[in-house]
Amino acid sequence: MEGPPAPGNGDISLHNFSARLWEQLIHFHVMRLTDSLFLWVGATPNLRNLAVAMCNRYDSIPVSTSLLGDTSDTTSNCLAQRLARKTKKQVFVSYNLQNTDSNFTLLIENRIKEEMEAFPEKF
Amino acid sequence: MESCHLNNPAMEARPIVTSKQKVEVVCGVPTQVVCTAFSSHILVVVTQYGKMGTLVSLEPSTVANDICKPAITTRVLLGQDEPLIHVFAKNLVMFVSQEAGNKPVLLALALKEKSVEGVRALKEVIRSCQVW
Repeated sequence: MEGPPAPGNGDISLHNFSARLWEQLIHFHVMRLTDSLFLWVGATPNLRNLAVAMCNRYDSIPVSTSLLGDTSDTTSNCLAQRLARKTKKQVFVSYNLQNTDSNFTLLIENRIKEEMEAFPEKF
Repeated sequence: MESCHLNNPAMEARPIVTSKQKVEVVCGVPTQVVCTAFSSHILVVVTQYGKMGTLVSLEPSTVANDICKPAITTRVLLGQDEPLIHVFAKNLVMFVSQEAGNKPVLLALALKEKSVEGVRALKEVIRSCQVW
């Protein structure tokens, strides 16, 4: 599944993990690229939306835009912004869970940050 | 309490999305290809810069048609929207959409040089990362 054990600089790395949150098994799929990150979150293997965020010199809040799916659902956007701010990278997020309650998305975000600390080379 | 998620074998579920990746030299340029199968889309990343580059969506028309293959619409979601990128997107991954049963494809394309020979070679690399 994973690429060669010692990927050189600039090689794309793939990483999967999961979590049981509020009785639901949530899957995460991360693709680490050069200065950018693709993160998919879901319970079923759907890709319903996509947002991108990146830091900029004019504002402390990263700019973000919705690329695919329902533009009124800002969960992917918000998560992308928060992760862009944390990683200073361009971050693509596809959040595919019905539950967009802020308490729940905070748990999701914490789970991602936990994984980032455990496997910094994967992000 | 949060840290109990890690290292807990019960938490280790099999990934529900499959990916295949390959690094190959195409026309002298090291190229990375990653294909990921979602139930709704196939994501194809083709990069010579290590970045996502231009993001293009390919949508087969939903009109039922038994006689010929459905028309495919390309749309640039992120990056420079130039005619050549549409040509490349169609030539590179239209076969992916068709083989996947007319699924939409998301293509992330970052190429240093664009040539016809390049397209042929890249198609083969994409085919070797078949997840559909």
